[in-house]
Amino acid sequence: MATTSGNSKSGAAEFSALGRSIPRVEARAKVTGRAEYVHNLRLPGMLYGRIHRSTVAHARIRSVDVSAAQAVPGVYAVYTAADVQRLIPEPYYGPAFHDQPILALGKVHHVGEPVALVLAADPHVADAAAQLIVADYEELPAVFDEVEAMTSAAVVHEVLKPAGTFPDLKHLKGKRDTNIALDFHLRRGDVQKAFAEADHVFEHTFRTQQVLHLPLEPFVTVADPTPSQLVIHTASQSPSFVRIEIARLLGWPENRVRVKVPYLGGGFGAKLYIKLEALAAAAALLAGRPVKIALTMEEQFYTLTKHATTLRIKSGVTKDGKITVRECEVWWNGGAYADIGPRITQKSGFTAPGPYDIDHVSIDSYSLYTNLPPAGALRGFGIPQLVWAYESHTDMIAKALHMDPLAIRRINILREGRPQATGTLMRDAGIDPVLERLAQRMAWEKPFDKGSGTIRRGRGIAIGFKASISPTTSVAIVNISADGSCNVYCSTVDMGQGSDTAMAQIVAEALGIPVASVTLVHPDTDVTPYDMATLGSRSTYHMGHAVKNAAEDARDKLLQLARDVGLSAETTPIPDIFRKKYGMQAGNIVGVGSFIPPYTPPESGTGQTPDATPFWMIGATGAEVEVDTETGEFKVTRLVNLVDVGRPVNPAIVETQISGATIMQLGFTLSERMDFDAGQVTNASLADYKIPGMRDIPAMMENEAVDMVQHSGPFGAKGVGESGTFGVSPAIASAIDDAVGVRLTSLPLTAEAVYRGLRAQAGKPLQD
Amino acid sequence: MNPFELAEPRSLKAALKLLDAGDESVRVFGGGTALMLMMKAGVFQPTRLISLRGVESRYARVTAAKDGSLHIGALTTLTTLGRAAAVRSKAPVIAGTLQTLSNVRVRNVATLGGHLAHADPHMDLPPVLIALDAQVVTAATAGLRTLAVADLFTGYYETALARNELISEVIVPAQTGRRSAYVKLTTRAADDWPTLGIAVSLQTDGRVIEDARFVVGAATEKPLRLPSVEAVLRGATADDAVLARAGEAAAAAAELVGDARGSAAYKTELLRVYAGRAVRKALAA
Repeated sequence: MATTSGNSKSGAAEFSALGRSIPRVEARAKVTGRAEYVHNLRLPGMLYGRIHRSTVAHARIRSVDVSAAQAVPGVYAVYTAADVQRLIPEPYYGPAFHDQPILALGKVHHVGEPVALVLAADPHVADAAAQLIVADYEELPAVFDEVEAMTSAAVVHEVLKPAGTFPDLKHLKGKRDTNIALDFHLRRGDVQKAFAEADHVFEHTFRTQQVLHLPLEPFVTVADPTPSQLVIHTASQSPSFVRIEIARLLGWPENRVRVKVPYLGGGFGAKLYIKLEALAAAAALLAGRPVKIALTMEEQFYTLTKHATTLRIKSGVTKDGKITVRECEVWWNGGAYADIGPRITQKSGFTAPGPYDIDHVSIDSYSLYTNLPPAGALRGFGIPQLVWAYESHTDMIAKALHMDPLAIRRINILREGRPQATGTLMRDAGIDPVLERLAQRMAWEKPFDKGSGTIRRGRGIAIGFKASISPTTSVAIVNISADGSCNVYCSTVDMGQGSDTAMAQIVAEALGIPVASVTLVHPDTDVTPYDMATLGSRSTYHMGHAVKNAAEDARDKLLQLARDVGLSAETTPIPDIFRKKYGMQAGNIVGVGSFIPPYTPPESGTGQTPDATPFWMIGATGAEVEVDTETGEFKVTRLVNLVDVGRPVNPAIVETQISGATIMQLGFTLSERMDFDAGQVTNASLADYKIPGMRDIPAMMENEAVDMVQHSGPFGAKGVGESGTFGVSPAIASAIDDAVGVRLTSLPLTAEAVYRGLRAQAGKPLQD
Repeated sequence: MNPFELAEPRSLKAALKLLDAGDESVRVFGGGTALMLMMKAGVFQPTRLISLRGVESRYARVTAAKDGSLHIGALTTLTTLGRAAAVRSKAPVIAGTLQTLSNVRVRNVATLGGHLAHADPHMDLPPVLIALDAQVVTAATAGLRTLAVADLFTGYYETALARNELISEVIVPAQTGRRSAYVKLTTRAADDWPTLGIAVSLQTDGRVIEDARFVVGAATEKPLRLPSVEAVLRGATADDAVLARAGEAAAAAAELVGDARGSAAYKTELLRVYAGRAVRKALAA
């Protein structure tokens, strides 16, 4: 059962296109198999690239023997780092650090790192040849654990290479012999004194496992070296970044690189920044032929993952349950390349104390290099790991103080207008309404059936929050044709989240035209203007503003045109204005809009800033479970998900975003875990790495956006893609504790872990 | 995946001839669902695959004999098997097991013969068919032979089949007076391979269990009958004490293998609890 409700008061009545559950504009094309994807693209003369990958976690490369692969009939070329360097002498890329080589150079840093590339017109030939490449390695000691990486003798990268784009990373340039890619610190109040004065002090350590995005469309890129440009067709969430970074690598002006992105079969943060694009571009330029590189499902396990973490939280609390002080240490396992990990360490790190009003706060957040596949952004950008820790911690405190989980949250919640740990005042952050509505839907203050015999029932709640990424820029163009229909040029990527529909609704609303009259032009850097990226639930807010501004600019120009030709702009149909001006159906009105929200960078060392984020995302989950006391098996019988998304642009899409995020996090909570043996993933397939199926979804799942308005947002809206992930893991863990008194502190939550907890509770620990 | 030759013989005889080469890189397949995974992973690289889908249609049929036995062609797809009226009436435990066996796309092409010959210990039907005392008929150029499903499996992915021998039919004897059940336990996602599989078949007279077959799969190298459990159940009434003893006997007898789905110790505890639950499920069938 799935239900949506909410947003009735602020109602859609005042709008024509906003707040309506319009079917997705691309739905028909997708279900009839006609939507465009890079996987379907074939160009004349195209070669297929297959990657030969490292078999060891950390080693110096003595040599790479490609002779057998080269000798395979049908092989066009085999490239190693040395070939790439003929084209790009410094072949290192990355959004935060320029640490990732296009092909392994000197060392390999994780199992699965690309070492060589085989090109052939027949992908099967390329595949067979790639298996014949022999690399000779001098193995080095490897480090896999994020806490060990702090002090380990094994160093992943000898020298740190910050990209220079982020001012707060500049101090790391040239730093040697450390695995700490970034250390972020926040200090507020007097932590030491507050701990000394606290009635109770609680300290717990939590862990999360390494998981991955697994979009059902694996990574794919086609690079086409045309006489005038390098054209890159890619399944990317960040076409503008790809253009800038490829141009930088090649030393070319931006306009010689053209990046085109059709629909994506899911992204979830995996397809950000550079993934296959640099390798495909280098290979295509070396070969002088179009090159397609399409990864298998299995190869995704070696491309980008979600940070495993260790989180330590210590809180001082009064006897009444008021949290006065909190100290957080977070170690993020970034794997072999930084990707966007250092941003997560800071941008999410500053919310580590949770949505609580705490006067004295200390945060130390560390981005660590290890010899595992790289970790980056994954739906929530580190927030689900933090919420897992601080909400579990909150309930453990409540239990110790014999307090109700809702009551302790009511005492401590960060309310409107109060300062967050950074000092930024909370504005339009529906923490309180989300919590109260959740309590209401869970009937929290009514008696709850705790089960009997061998089946015990329990329930839990958890709430989390996230800042939006800042400072980032979006630019959009709205082009009105003479018949009144219009095209929107924007580089937001519709990867399944419904942004084409949302943007069409915003533009239709701004222009007062039907949604059906608006068509989105998909990202093409020759055509669509700059956008930072489709990430962090930023598109509705940032690009929403940009397209709204562009539409309003177009509308103003249209009104001016009407006045110029002596027509009443308010009452004349759009086609008549054009006809009067040009004498026939001709001409265009082009409106341009851009958006960059205000932002103040945090003060170094203390992390303090009056303006940390343009908006806050709030998400909470209530869970009910049934636990079998004989086996530890448990079933999540109900999930209630509440979010503050401001005013929903499209309530039906909002609901699928909440439920999709929740189900994804349910997998990360219950069944997904990358297993490793010496850095090698031992379950790199959908057969052995288990994402949730239909039968894993709770019988009752309820999703609701509370009645809120983001006053700074376009038509009151803000982002929604991640909020559903926040509360899932700790709510389920707390429900298990409520049912049988077993508290789990590591993800995933397994039946075996519950069983072992039950045995330990009975004083008869399970012996292996 | 590397290119390979695909043969599509029109008869079982022709298929057997193609097999005689005795070449390790030549394989037959029914639905190909398991083989394709191995090929994609690079674990198996065939030079020639022999599809059995074109052989005589009688090998893809289910028939009920007058004596109540079921004769199931080895190329019967799992979907056909699960939907066959004869199976649902004569051996409903098979139809029930198929509901959660893999997924509909796999069941639509995977065949019973391939399911058995692959000898992956995580398969659901081998313990069920052993509990039902089923037999396989195999064909080779030398002729036919019949052996118990229990004797088909010799180890981890190993069978008693010769390289030039194919399963042609599975015979499930009449189940008159028997009650059977299969319990599949998954500890990660619901559609995962089983952590533990337990098949039970009981001959009952009123509340008394006259005969029992108790088989454990998935956590063992091959499906295993547990005679000590069967001895506890035989002649007993299934009360809490007997079922607890059956669980103790199962936990003591089975040497279970730990993996990513659970440690050996935990799987043993699951077996201890679920032995009795499986018997109860069979009695309620």
